[in-house]
Amino acid sequence: MNTVEEIFSVLEEKFGVKRDTRDKWGVCAVVGAAYLHNVVQFLKDSAAIKFEMLVDIAGIDYLTYPNHEGPRFAVSYAFKSVSTPGQRIRLKVQVSEDSLKVPTISDLFANANWYEREVFDQFGIVFTGHPDLRRLLNHVEFVGHPLRKDYPAQKRQWLSTNDYLLPALEKRLEDLGYRVVQRSKEVGTNDNEFLEGSIKE
Amino acid sequence: MTAEAEKPNIITSSLDFLVNWGRTNSLWPFPYGTACCAIEFMSTEVGRYDLSRIGSEYVRFTPRQSDVLLVAGTITYKQAPILKRIYEQMAEPRWVIAMGACACSGGFYDCYCTVPGIDHIIPVDVYIGGCPSRPEAFFDAMFDLQKKIKDESYMKQRAERVKDQLEMIKAKTAEAKANAKEFAREKVVDIKDFVVSKEQEIVKKAQFWKE
Repeated sequence: MNTVEEIFSVLEEKFGVKRDTRDKWGVCAVVGAAYLHNVVQFLKDSAAIKFEMLVDIAGIDYLTYPNHEGPRFAVSYAFKSVSTPGQRIRLKVQVSEDSLKVPTISDLFANANWYEREVFDQFGIVFTGHPDLRRLLNHVEFVGHPLRKDYPAQKRQWLSTNDYLLPALEKRLEDLGYRVVQRSKEVGTNDNEFLEGSIKE
Repeated sequence: MTAEAEKPNIITSSLDFLVNWGRTNSLWPFPYGTACCAIEFMSTEVGRYDLSRIGSEYVRFTPRQSDVLLVAGTITYKQAPILKRIYEQMAEPRWVIAMGACACSGGFYDCYCTVPGIDHIIPVDVYIGGCPSRPEAFFDAMFDLQKKIKDESYMKQRAERVKDQLEMIKAKTAEAKANAKEFAREKVVDIKDFVVSKEQEIVKKAQFWKE
């Protein structure tokens, strides 16, 4: 019976992964950003215990964290094994404030797409290679990234117009090879007409 | 436009009563439910509490056919323009109920994403406290709203609506009267001058013939 410990030793050999000593469950590994994609692919396809399920991606801001050394940000990936129930592993990628870049894993896990958009929205960490990196939770006119510790939590930002998503959607679909055959009269793409009656006036 | 509309009399007050009676007993709500208050509204609507018995027979899911906008739940900044747009799509007369702590004041969401009370966006008639509000509280709000509607006067609102037009007409009338007066005075002066000159001529002629 393979255990997570053996997988950790393999990861240490192959990818230079370090154990996170402060993790109280002992399932966290710190990965370099360059190896992340390979490590995830290894865990998904060819490890002794296959981790087929991406549970969550979370951003961390260590700005006000006590006794912290190292880069300011981190991105944490939580995986769960379906074929071997009960086995979990977490990967942590440290991100410095100078280059906020992490390779995307949305080509391996489809649900990583929206997780990464959320982390980008709330922390401003850019996932390189992401197909559609836009804000997910906050509105289009939002300035800044609210879950960073230096964002004032009570700072409110008004949205002046409705989020008009149709042109962007059509463009995305056209990029994928679809084309618009017929457009309903009610959802015309006239911006002025659409903005009538919104808060902007 | 005339004096009858400005002062209440037996006809206008009867009309007020009739209009208010109709509006009071057919308040159709539009539920803008975004959180747990909407669940409470559902239990208000169905059999146990039965909102229909005070005349709110249908819950209409289009703003064009409803009278009361019921905002039940947290409103975020991303949603604020949508709520505003729905309020503007409603036909007058329209009323707004803010249900629950979140819609009234933002509740405990004192953060970057929640609107601190929907009265920042749209005018509100009745506030209901509670997190979430009980159906009884919702009924209380509906009764308050009915009382408020009974106090309204259709003719007064109409007078308010046509106030600008009335003032404009009055101003135009006064201007026309002043113009007419001026014109008449000029005419009178002209005629006086004419008469005086004629008199002088006659006097001259009389003197001539005397001599």
